[in-house]
Formats: sequence, structure tokens, C-alpha cells
Amino acid sequence: MTDLVLALASGAAGGILIALMPRAGDRLRNIVALIFSAAGTLFSWRVAGAVFAGRTIRISGEIAGLAWSLHPDPLGAVFGLIVSTLWLFAGVYSFGYMAEEQKQRTYYTYFLLAFSVTLGVAFSGNLLALYLFYELLTFATYPLVIHERNSEAMKAGSKYIIYSLSGAGAILIAIIIVYSWTGNLDFTGGPLLADCGLRPGLGWVLALFVAGFGVKAAIMPLHRWLPAAMCAPTPVSALLHAVAVVYSGVYGIVRVVYSVFGHELAGQLHLSHILPWVAAFTILVGVIIATQQDVLKRRLAYHTVSQLSYILLGAFTLHPWGLAGAICHMISYSTLKVTLFFGAGIIAKGTGKVRVSEMSGVGWQLPRTMAAFGIASLGMIGMLPLNTFWSKYYLMRGSVAMGKWQLALVLIASGLINAFCFIPTVVAAFAEKGEQPVLEKGSAMGLMLAPTLLLAGIALLIGLWPGLVWPGVDAVVNWFF
Amino acid sequence: MKTLLDSLMVNYPYFAAMILFIIGAFTVLTRSNLFKKLIGINIMESAIFLMFIAAGNIRGGAVPILDKANPKALYINPLPSALMLTGIVVSVSVTAFALALIIKLYQFYGTTDARRIAELKKEVASR
Amino acid sequence: MTATIKSNLPVFVVIMPLFVAFVLPTFARRIRLVEGLVTATTALGFLGAGYLASLILIQNGNPINYSLGGWSAPWGIEIQVSNLSCFFLLMVAGVSLPIALFAADNMTHEVGGPQQTTRFYALYLLLGGALAGMAVTSDLFNVFVLVEVATLSCCGLVSSSNHPWASEAAFNYLILATLGSALILGGIGFLYIITGHLNMEFASHELNRVWQGYPHVVWIAASFLLVGFGVKSALFPLHVWLPDAHSAAPSPASAILSGLAVKGYAICLIKVLYNVFGIALIQDFGIHRILTLLGMIAIIAGSVFALTQDKLKRRLAFSTVAQVGYIFLGLGLANSQSLTGMLFHMASHAVIKSGLFLAAGAIIATTGKNRISEMAGVGRKMPITMAVFTICSVSLVGIPLFSGFVGKWHLLLGSLEAGNRLAQAVIIVGSVLCAAYLFPIIRVAYFEPTPVADCRDPGLPQMIALIMLAAWVIILGVVPGPFLELAKRAAIDLLVMK
Repeated sequence: MTDLVLALASGAAGGILIALMPRAGDRLRNIVALIFSAAGTLFSWRVAGAVFAGRTIRISGEIAGLAWSLHPDPLGAVFGLIVSTLWLFAGVYSFGYMAEEQKQRTYYTYFLLAFSVTLGVAFSGNLLALYLFYELLTFATYPLVIHERNSEAMKAGSKYIIYSLSGAGAILIAIIIVYSWTGNLDFTGGPLLADCGLRPGLGWVLALFVAGFGVKAAIMPLHRWLPAAMCAPTPVSALLHAVAVVYSGVYGIVRVVYSVFGHELAGQLHLSHILPWVAAFTILVGVIIATQQDVLKRRLAYHTVSQLSYILLGAFTLHPWGLAGAICHMISYSTLKVTLFFGAGIIAKGTGKVRVSEMSGVGWQLPRTMAAFGIASLGMIGMLPLNTFWSKYYLMRGSVAMGKWQLALVLIASGLINAFCFIPTVVAAFAEKGEQPVLEKGSAMGLMLAPTLLLAGIALLIGLWPGLVWPGVDAVVNWFF
Repeated sequence: MKTLLDSLMVNYPYFAAMILFIIGAFTVLTRSNLFKKLIGINIMESAIFLMFIAAGNIRGGAVPILDKANPKALYINPLPSALMLTGIVVSVSVTAFALALIIKLYQFYGTTDARRIAELKKEVASR
Repeated sequence: MTATIKSNLPVFVVIMPLFVAFVLPTFARRIRLVEGLVTATTALGFLGAGYLASLILIQNGNPINYSLGGWSAPWGIEIQVSNLSCFFLLMVAGVSLPIALFAADNMTHEVGGPQQTTRFYALYLLLGGALAGMAVTSDLFNVFVLVEVATLSCCGLVSSSNHPWASEAAFNYLILATLGSALILGGIGFLYIITGHLNMEFASHELNRVWQGYPHVVWIAASFLLVGFGVKSALFPLHVWLPDAHSAAPSPASAILSGLAVKGYAICLIKVLYNVFGIALIQDFGIHRILTLLGMIAIIAGSVFALTQDKLKRRLAFSTVAQVGYIFLGLGLANSQSLTGMLFHMASHAVIKSGLFLAAGAIIATTGKNRISEMAGVGRKMPITMAVFTICSVSLVGIPLFSGFVGKWHLLLGSLEAGNRLAQAVIIVGSVLCAAYLFPIIRVAYFEPTPVADCRDPGLPQMIALIMLAAWVIILGVVPGPFLELAKRAAIDLLVMK
């Protein structure tokens, strides 16, 4: 319980501390940021450990007569683990990437605040707490989106706020309907709506929830804010717009489907036959649009849109295999995507190149970066030595088990298009060999490179030894089925 | 037609009040001269007063001063008249206040025409 | 002595500010004393309201009836302290105290010399007294008188600003408001003609007995009252006076006008509709549908208009038009949840809008700039002011932990109960639009690069006022406890036919 409080508090405390140190040097600020991110990570690992060991951690209270609770279950613990681990990596990467940037104080303040809020999303035990943190996440990450302060960033920020708040509004309506049916918002004790049975309006509630969380999960056509938000600094794009923020949407949907409706009730709705296809549509269209993009970060953004729907597809199969695939993909994809973004950031910082068409020969300037980038690109196809192979395997197994084998074809097709998306870039990067200096030097570069390589390594490790993450996946699946 | 005429004959104070009210409201909403607007307000309020007092009137009723000699005499209802006294006070204070505002506006803009004032204000704003 | 005060407290909370208001001008030369008196009066009013509320809560909501001059109803004038009255009294006192604090030592540049400042305070207390009176009165004619007192003091407050535009705004306000008063008086007249009573309870009784004989007259009375109070409480499209008046007034006046005065008329409308006509009659005549529809239109239209304003105070004023829409929407949905939500939203908006206007006033006073686009960098120079502004904005949007959420939650539950999907959508769209017109201000203040030249947070009393309002926002959002209980009971009272 103390661990839970400390996990949530360390990010917020660090953020406020940094906000209050006006003239601190970069070095001191980085140390504070590192300490508090590490503390948050450590405590959320401890929380996750306790949850997997089967202990119950619960804090609850009331806001204005409405109960809230923090009560991590295995799904929340897995989400918390992913987020906190990657946050530490992104923090270290930021020290290198942001070294010469302006407005570092604002950046780190909100970077750490967002950490707390995201963990709050992960650990919340009822819909009110989930909604609260989901809303707060929008505000905590808004300053990071508009970090550049130019008109493009401001426009992206407004788009982000409006999309997110509209989504949150849809969720609020859905929560109110659930509340009026059950008088209770707690989802930790089995599916919330299990006792309600089939009743008119149930499909609407699910639709509202999916649409609401779908904004952050970037389901097409609600994805428009995500490519726009790519004007943020790279660590932000990597962490927030490939993992934390978008995962909070995905997590919300998985939560709603399995904890609020429960797979049995959800399976009886007509909607649950349509939703996998919505996800499949997003998977295909997202990746096809991605191949059309020339700016690397935009390409990565559309690719994110596509990949997030893999997780949703798995969740929407309402089958243990599908859910296992979804959780696996949550873990695998996040490591790979962050690697890709980190690589893109290093390329932009080192060479100033942001377009795919300019990148021929970059590989010889930044060999280690591009190696990591290449590994991650292979992973996105779902090749064997990498972790996404396993998630795709379970996703396909889940779709076949659900009786929708066509979805497995969609996954295979998407994997092929993925190959077109990144492999040519990597090949081109190493194609033209010239007398170019190796740019991977200096402490800033080192701070960026280390997390990148480490993450690529982790991805490989999980791919070779999936047993590393399997207990977590197993725990989640057992929790819901 | 006969019934309408009858009710008109019986309830003529109410019809008068209605006509006055419409005249007043029309003046307030359509005239641009501030004084005329104010006069419209006053006409409108008179209409309401008339209606109230007519409601308290009883045909053939006496002034409501208790007459010990004739305890069963028919009195008119004094309450509406008393209330309208308050109403008139309110109306007078509104008028006084509005006149003070008109003076202030005239001192600044040199006109008492609402449209002209709006134009002048736009000019000031654009400068 | 204390026993006398306690037993006559319902009258004291009304009489005290009125009395002090008339005494004030004699102290005009000693402006400190005037300010002290005003603050003390509002503070005492707050204590009185709190005491009454605690009494009512202990009594389980049985109203305290007080007959003025010892004449019992229906002959005498009756004052009734019910759940609704306590709720509104607390709201009035809780908001007018910080506004009085904010005004202290700060009015001269906006209204002129000490004479004018004293007059401003006199009007301020008159308005406070009238609002308190609206809370407790249960006599239809008193409603009219109090409405007039409030209207005249509102117009006076607007015109107290040095600026000549203020006079024009005040004149327009006066004309339209008097039109409204005439309609209200007419409506009351019709009710009196039918029922022969001015006491609400007796009138209601009589009206529900005989209304079938005069359906047209009841209709006319209802529409007169609706339009009359609609003009006064700035129900779209009758709001035309509000943006000018509220933006031209001195900032503390804007705060009390937008925060409380508009709500006072709404409370009167609630009393007349629910305590005189009664829920059954409202539903028979379909008045609730009209209210719902008008409320929804007001929410959307007010928000859209607010989006297009560049002047800070005008944007806030249009925001009031939108928020008044929520009140009418809740009124129209006519079930206990929606009425609870409506009442709570009323209170939370009162606090929020006062906070917003006061913060805006502080910003405009120090920077001398009233356009949003010119406020770049204010957030760094005036951290506390802008923090309060941000808290209030976030609350108005309806984020949990802040007061706005509680009201919207109950409003949404109410619209669900009424089966009105459109209303739910409108409430949510209204929130999103609210974010769309408030967040640009915060963004410009905090995140725009060029800072304004020289400005800093206002003086100590102003800061205390701002922090107090922000604290109300958070307290109402996290532990509204007894206050929400009062709103709930008041809502149930309204739905019960006596």
C-alpha cells in the first residue's frame, strides 16, 4: 500500500520539486528527474510484484459522495510495468536529447507529472478514478505537445485537447449510464455489468466507451490528433504518443471490455462482431498510410495507429488466446516502437534529417543507432527472433479460435506491408557507403544511444525467451477467464 | 360577437391595460431615442398598475374604511392598490435612475439617440 | 439578546445588509471604516447563513416559518427558511465575502474617488440584501420588490464604472430589466387575480384547485413570468444586455453580477414555478419542455459566442450565458437528480465565475490590457492569480476533484433519468466548448513566449479573496458533504406538492 502511494507520488513530487527550483542547473535538474523517475519505477515494480504474488492492494475513498479506489489487478500491473520501465528509459534519453533545448524546466515538470498520472490510470480500481486520471493525463501532457511553442505545435495542442475532451465526455456519459444501472463503479470484483444481463442500451454503452477511449487509442477515424502531435520533442513522441497516452486509451478499452462488461456479456452483443473489423480496418489503413509518409516521425505515428489496433483486435476476440496476444503485443510493441522513435530522434539530432527520402547513407554515420532501428523494423514484421512474433502468433490463434480466420489474414497482410514500411529505409541507410564520419560521439549522444540499444536488446531477449513475460500475460488471462 | 362585446364592456380596464402594455413595449423596443424608451417603460408599467387596481376593484364597492354603522358594506379590495403604491415608487426610482444615466450619456456623446451612440462607440473603438 | 438574534435570524440576514447599506454613505470620508463595515457585514451574513443551514440540516429539512410583524400568513408576509433558502443564502454569503475582500482598497481606480467607492459599496450591500431576501421570501409581491431592488442595484453597479460605455450598458440593462420586471409584475398580477393570494403556499393551493377554470390566464401568467425572469437571468436569446453590462462593470461588480445576481432571478423563477405552479402543472402545461429546449440552445449558443470574443471579460460574460443554460436545462428536466445538479451547478458556477472575473480584473488592473491575445506571459508574472484562474477554468469544464464535475454529474444522471439523450450530448458538448474558450486564455498566459512588461500579483486582501474562491471550488468538488445534502433535499422539496 505504501508502495502504491509512493509509486504514484514520486512522479508528482518530482515534477513539483522541479517546478519550484527556478534557476537550477541542467545537471541538478537531471539528477532530480532521474531519482524520481527511478523511484516511481522501483515502486511500481514492487506494486506489480505484489499483485502477481496475489496480494491485494487497495486504497479507496470518496470524492463528492462518489467512491473511488486504487486497486491494481494483473492487467493494471502489466500496464504499470511497461509504462514505468519505459519512462526510465525515456528519462535517460531525454537528458541527451533535451541537453541543448529551451524550457527544460517545463518539460521535466510535466514529464514527471504525466508519469504519476499514467500510473494512476494503470492502478485505478474503479471507473471514477480511471476517468479522473484519464482526464488529467490530457492536461499533464498538453504542455509537452506544445513544447515547441510554434503555431504548428499550438494547433496540434488544441486538436489534442478537443479530441481528448470529447472522448472523455463520451466516457463520462457511459460511466453515468453504468452508474445508474448498478449504483457502483468498482470493477475489481468481477465484471461490473455481469448481473445486469442483456438489456437495451448495453451496446450503446460499449460503443460510447470504445469511442471515448478510442480517441486516445487512435482508432480510425478518431486518430487525427496523433500525427499532428508528432511536432513534440522525440522523447515525448516516443513515450507518450507511442506508449503512455495511447496505451491509456487501449488499456481503457481492454478494461471496459473485460472488467466492466466481461467477455461473456460482451460476446452476446452484436457490437462485438463489428469491433474486430473496426480494429482490422485501422490496422490495414493505418499501415498503408504510414508507407506513404515521407517524414519519418509521421510515418511512425501512422504506424502507431495501426499497431495499437493489433492490441484492440486481440482484446475484441474475447478469447483467452486473443487476450494473451493483446497483452504480449502491448509489451513487445512498446519496446520496439520506443526503439524506433529513439532512433529517429538520434538521426534528427545527429544529422538533421527527418525525411525518409534523405536517409540514404545515414547508417554509416550512425551505425549502432541504425542497427537498433533495423532490429526494431524486423520486429514490426513479426519475425521470429523478436518478441512480436509471439504476440502475433497468439493474436492469430485467438482470431481463428474466435472463428474469424479472415482476421489472421489481415494480420499477415499487415506484417507484409510493415516490411515495406521500414525495411527499405534501413537498407537505404546502409546502401551508400561514403567517407562519412561516425556521429555517435559525445555524452549527449551516449545518453540517447544507451537506452536505444538496451531496448532493442530487451526486445531480442523477450523474443528469444518469451518465458520472461509469460507469467504476467498468464496472470492477466487467468484473471479475466 | 355579442359575447366578445359583452366581455369587452365588463372587462374594459383589462383591455385598456393590454393596449397600453403593447404600446409601451412597442415604444421601448422600436424607438431609438432614450427618452422615448423611458416613456415607453412608464406606459408599460402604468398598464400593469391599471390591471392590478382593476383586479381589486369591485363594482359598487365602497372605499375600504371600516364603517362601524354598516358592517356588511361591500368594500373594494385594498391590497392591490396598496401594492401598486410600492410599484409606483419602484417605477419612479427606475425613471429617476434612467434619467441620470441619460444625462451622463448626453454629457459624453452629445446625443440621446441610441443608434447614434452605437455609431460613436464604434468610431471610438476603431480608433 | 442572543436569543432574540437567533429567533429573528431569518430577518436579520436580509435586513442587516440593507441597513448597513443605508448607513454607509455617512461614513464616506473614512473609506477604511466603510470597507471594514462591508466585510464585517458579509462575514456576519456568512455566519448567519451557516447557522441557519446547520439548523435546517439538524431539523431534517423542516422549514422555519417566520411571520413578519407577527401577522401569520395568509394575512401577513411570511418568510420561510427552507433547504433551498439555506442553500442559496450560503451561496450568496460564501461568494460575496471574498468579493468584498477583493474590492477592499482596490476600487478607486475603477470607480473614482471615495464618494463613488462608498456608493459602490452601498449598492453592493443592497444587492446582497436583496439576494438574501430572494432566498427566504415566500411572498409573490416581495419577490417583485426584491427583484426590483436587485435590478436597480445591479444597474447602479454597472454604471459605477468610470467608463462612459458603462453608462450605456447600464441604460440598456435598465430598460430591458424593467421590461422584465413589468412582465414579472404582470405575471404575479394574473396569479393574484386567479388565486387571490400572494403567499406562495396559499396561492399554489388555490391555483391547483381552480386552474382548470382559467387555463389561458395561467398560460399567460406562466409565459409572462418565464420571459420576465428569462430576461433578468440572461436566458438566451434574452441575454443581449448581459455581455455589455458584465464586461463594462468594475471587476468585483462583474463577479457578483455574473456569479450571484443572475442566479437570484433564477431562484425566484424556481420558487414561482415549483412552489406556486407546482410540478404537476408544469408538466401539464409542458413548461418543462420549453425550459429544457431553451437551456440546450443557451448552452450551445452561449459557448459558441464566447469562442469568438477576444476581450477577456466579454468572453467570461458569454460563458455566463452558456452556464445559465445549464440551470434552465436542469430546471426543465424536472427530476430530483437534475434539480440537485442544477442547484449545485448554480453554486459552483457562482464561485467559479466570481473567481474568473476577479482574476481577470486583477490581470486587467495591473497590465492594463483587456484582450486575451495581449496576455502572453501573465501566468509567470502573476502566478497565484493565474493559478486561481486555471483552477476555476478546469472546474467549469467539469473535471473530477473540482466543483463543476459534481453538478454536471448530477445533471447527467438527471438527463438519463428523464431519458433525454440530446440533453446528455449537449451537456458534454458544452463542456468541450467550455474548454475550447477557456484554455486558450490559460495557454496564452502560461505558454506564449513574449512576457508582458511589468505586472505582479495583487495585494494581500485580493490574494486572500482569490485563494478563498479557489478553496471553495476544491472543497465543493471533493467534500461537498452538507452542501450537496442541502441541494438534494431542496430538490426533493421542490418536487413534493404541498
